[in-house]
Amino acid sequence: MRERVAYARGSAGLPRACALLVCGLFMYTTPAYAAPPLVLVVAADASDFVLAAGGTIAKMAEAGSAVYVIRVTNDEKDSWGLPPEETALRARAEADSAARALGVKEAISLGYRAAELADVSFSGIRDRLIFYIRHYKPSVMFIPNPYSEYDRVLDRYYTGAAAEDAFRVAALENFQLPHGDVGLAPHLTPELYYYAQPLDPRRKEPESTATFVPRPKSVDIASTLPKKLAAAAALKTSNESTARRLKARLDATGRRLPILDTVDESSIKRLAEINVRGLGTTEEFRYAGVEFRIPRKYR
Amino acid sequence: MYTVILLVSCVAAFGADALPLGKLPKGKVVMALQPHHDDHTTDYGMGGLIARFVDEGYEAYYVRASNDEKDGSHGYARNDMINLREAEEATRILGMKKVISLNWRNDYMGPVPLDELRAQLILLIRKYRPDVILGHNPWEHYQKNPDHRNVARAMAEAWWMAGYENVHPEHVKIGLQPHQASYLYLKARLDWGLGHTPNIAIELNESQVRRKQQAYQTHRNVYANPASARGVKAALARESLMVPEFEGLDDQEAAVRMEEWHMDWISRVRGKQAGVTFAEDYFFVDEFDHLPGLKAYLKENVSAK
Ligand SMILES: [Zn+2]
Repeated sequence: MRERVAYARGSAGLPRACALLVCGLFMYTTPAYAAPPLVLVVAADASDFVLAAGGTIAKMAEAGSAVYVIRVTNDEKDSWGLPPEETALRARAEADSAARALGVKEAISLGYRAAELADVSFSGIRDRLIFYIRHYKPSVMFIPNPYSEYDRVLDRYYTGAAAEDAFRVAALENFQLPHGDVGLAPHLTPELYYYAQPLDPRRKEPESTATFVPRPKSVDIASTLPKKLAAAAALKTSNESTARRLKARLDATGRRLPILDTVDESSIKRLAEINVRGLGTTEEFRYAGVEFRIPRKYR
Repeated sequence: MYTVILLVSCVAAFGADALPLGKLPKGKVVMALQPHHDDHTTDYGMGGLIARFVDEGYEAYYVRASNDEKDGSHGYARNDMINLREAEEATRILGMKKVISLNWRNDYMGPVPLDELRAQLILLIRKYRPDVILGHNPWEHYQKNPDHRNVARAMAEAWWMAGYENVHPEHVKIGLQPHQASYLYLKARLDWGLGHTPNIAIELNESQVRRKQQAYQTHRNVYANPASARGVKAALARESLMVPEFEGLDDQEAAVRMEEWHMDWISRVRGKQAGVTFAEDYFFVDEFDHLPGLKAYLKENVSAK
């Protein structure tokens, strides 16, 4: 049950009930389904959203969506030969330019210390995300998939779990009462994409046929691959860390990878490019659309 | 042509799900990072693999994160001491060098600060510099025991973060260098839903299975209780049945024999599934599995110097 989506006009993917509602109300003023007006991407770190969802995000931005990224951690650990403070500063600037390369309007940094989310208050992260959801009122959210397995960067798990809950309770008026006093109204985001890099061997298997389980969805990103490549290339500090660690491992075990014989700016960039190309021109998600919240009897 | 026929008959014999047999990676040190005294050898794995690593020249260390105070009927303090002693004895049978006990409170690993537990694991990884880490699968579903879930999570970050200079830089002050383990073998129950799906089988020889049996039944505080044999004997006797193999054995000996059958049986079941006599199943994480976009490229382009 995989589905290809195109961010062009047309209501083919929408469920009947919703299509009727949308068409009935806005038929003469708005196209039935254009690019989502506002897309909110929650990310644990600078690289995950680029590698797992960058092509899709760029596609939406190209089609006219205003995209915002909230990066939960500061990426302070992922560098080679730089202290955490310096790493965090560079990662912030590089996350900004990666986001720009994808057509993102703004990348916001929450600044939690990378790889130390395990003991951070879950609801603390969630509540900050609720604030942004109510402020931006997104029509689409992207969050790290907390059910994806075998990603050793658990920040993505903690962030995904908090974001999933934020997506749910941002719509409920009994969460964060003071928001009512400052004009932030409850907001229900119609579409939710769970993203993850292909580390989970079973990521394409449907988890269940039950109604309320997000289904696999693939997005063809061939057209925006150049933007994804540019975004990945912008993450210089993290790319250098990956290249140098790989080289160190190969050296320690008496092996070589010809392009890393010399580790410099160009070989680091080349390796990052090979990585993005190796991920292919399809991005796989778990997707919960509008129909996710329409009980079966009304569909 | 020959190959094709062989391949087809293999698939037919073991089913499409037959796991590939794994070779052990080259290396010197293996560490098991586990919550409890007895997690080195259970029906779902590990004792045989540890014995095989030792046979292939590895030095092996066992880290017990909890104090196991709830396992046994001797009260908290005694249980802790007995279980630690039995773990030392059992891991010695497997050929391991040392048990390192972190002594966190048993079954209270839920509220334990994971960064603190992880920091201890990172310190030990930098000290002992394992090539391989064995542990519980942190992505297992339906795990009700908080110790298993949380120690596994701390391990899932510790094994690679120990290689990052920006993680606990204070360790450099005492001469410890960053070190990342390259391979992970994860185990969990196979009958607990989707979470843990093994991708590799490790073949064991007879002697490795025997050591595993012995290591298992060494944990007398929790296994091989004479009462279990007494119960089986009594239940059979009510139907005028008996187990001939129990002839001449007292209840303790019979209970030990039962645990040995258990380990032998499960090793044969896993072996049969992989087309060998004895085996254990794992989810194996290879050295470059964290780079999904580069894996195929590295396979093709990395060569010996
Ligand atoms: Zn245990």
